[in-house]
Amino acid sequence: MSLYNVLFTSLPVIAMGVFDQDVSARFCLKYPMLYQEGPQNLLFRWSRLLGWMLHGVGSAVIIFFLTIASLKHQAFRKDGEVIDLSILGATAYTCVVWAVNMQMAITVNYFTLIQHICIWSGIFLWYLFLIIYGAITPSFSTTFFMVFSEALGGAPAYWVVTLLVAVAALIPYFTLAVVKTWFFPDYHNKIQWLQHAAKHADPEEELGVVLRQFSVRSTGVGVSARRDAKLVRTNSKVIHADSSSQSQATVELT
Amino acid sequence: PEYSKFTQQELPACKPILTPKWVVSVFFLVGVVFVPVGVVSLLAAQDVVEIIDRYDHACVPPNMTDNKLAYIKNDTISKECTRILTVTKEMKQPIYVYYQLDNFYQNHRRYVKSRNDAQLRDYKKSNTTTSCDPERFTADGKPIVPCGLIAWSLFNDTYSFTRGKENLTVNKKDISWKSDREHKFAKNVYPSNFQNGALIGGKKLNSSIPLSEQEDLIVWMRTAALPTFRKLYGRIYVDLKANDTITVRLSNNYNTYSFGGKKKLVLSTATWLGGKNDFLGFAYLIVGGLCIFLAFAFTLLYLIKPRLVAFELRSITVK
Repeated sequence: MSLYNVLFTSLPVIAMGVFDQDVSARFCLKYPMLYQEGPQNLLFRWSRLLGWMLHGVGSAVIIFFLTIASLKHQAFRKDGEVIDLSILGATAYTCVVWAVNMQMAITVNYFTLIQHICIWSGIFLWYLFLIIYGAITPSFSTTFFMVFSEALGGAPAYWVVTLLVAVAALIPYFTLAVVKTWFFPDYHNKIQWLQHAAKHADPEEELGVVLRQFSVRSTGVGVSARRDAKLVRTNSKVIHADSSSQSQATVELT
Repeated sequence: PEYSKFTQQELPACKPILTPKWVVSVFFLVGVVFVPVGVVSLLAAQDVVEIIDRYDHACVPPNMTDNKLAYIKNDTISKECTRILTVTKEMKQPIYVYYQLDNFYQNHRRYVKSRNDAQLRDYKKSNTTTSCDPERFTADGKPIVPCGLIAWSLFNDTYSFTRGKENLTVNKKDISWKSDREHKFAKNVYPSNFQNGALIGGKKLNSSIPLSEQEDLIVWMRTAALPTFRKLYGRIYVDLKANDTITVRLSNNYNTYSFGGKKKLVLSTATWLGGKNDFLGFAYLIVGGLCIFLAFAFTLLYLIKPRLVAFELRSITVK
């Protein structure tokens, strides 16, 4: 079971840590305010950490109970065979591997070839492991012996359950991620939207317009700035996420 | 480090972002795939015909219903019992005969560990009984084959079926997994010193039949995952028509009374998805429906509140 942490899920996480970029280097230089996410402790707040832990627990609960309920006591194959401990375990394990790797795919902001390789090979390696380890003599592989090759691989129920459970485990996170980036974006989320918009428009000049608009929104110093900001706020229906009282208007284009 | 696209993290990449187009399409796609799969699964489950009969209470003679434990432990009382089953819908062969046990925790850790696979596999290791406590040796120190609690608690009810005057033979060949028969239970290991002690837990085994042919034992030793489980008893290769009456002659030997367990006899057909499993179909329909609902919800939100930071930036730059 410790193989799980080491082999099947470490690679995508390491790849994400090393290669992921939420905002490109060029934009980082343009928006030094991004740096404020550090001192303001926006990314390592307890609420965020607890949120991720809760998500882990929630996904585990979904995977566990859905797998059990889908494969109860009746037969799972055309030839009338029923499940046992090792079959249920292998199915649940498969769902977890899929859910975790797809979670990586949803979370990663910067999809290089390396990320692709890590994620898809993570899943592929799991099936390879099941086949190869299952082929080793039972004195070594004990309950894993032939569990995929004989019992699960040819059972349509196995694949049907895997699809259901993996997707069901990801829907909560996906929904919350959409709600967050649409309605409550962090500063770096806003920059990401900007990045995305910039790709579709004329670069520097339009960016200047956007930048000015953007910096006005985030400012909080000075009477006129406050008046302008108030005006803008009452006219638009934009929702702010970060505490604007601390942020200074450091990005200004004249 | 030397400049390269890799070290400067400028590898070609796509930067996916949750645009409304993407989000709605993903939810819609999932919904559109899941709903038909759910319908198909539900139809497959509805096709399965199942007859379940609980007999552990009904088979206790009326004068002993308040002392079932004494009944089951008394060897002089006949455990023969006759049950009548009615077939509700036509059942095409092969019809699978299972015994179902409720509240029996074959997945208890100490129980699962109480076996010795080396002994079952290898004739030369017949004397190894490590981890088989408390069923390792007989009272006079001889090693038990097969040792352990799992083998000791082998289910021992038997069933025979007749339809009117016709005998329905139960085919008990190949009820276990092939890999178990060929690799985990040896052809030259025979039961010895089995069920010899004071406490009888279940079936006695014929010591002239090698373990690889003791299919009931092999099926039983594949420990179940959940406290309610079925195990394959055999297959009937006869078609059953609707309203057929099946007479079951069973021997109610197994003691489930001391722990509040239930025993049920199950006859069932099977489809490509297996046995009767309504949950899978419903789960797919619910998840698919939820996704379609979310697709519509997000579309609505996008249409009603387009002036969000996310979309505002787009509308600004496009001007």
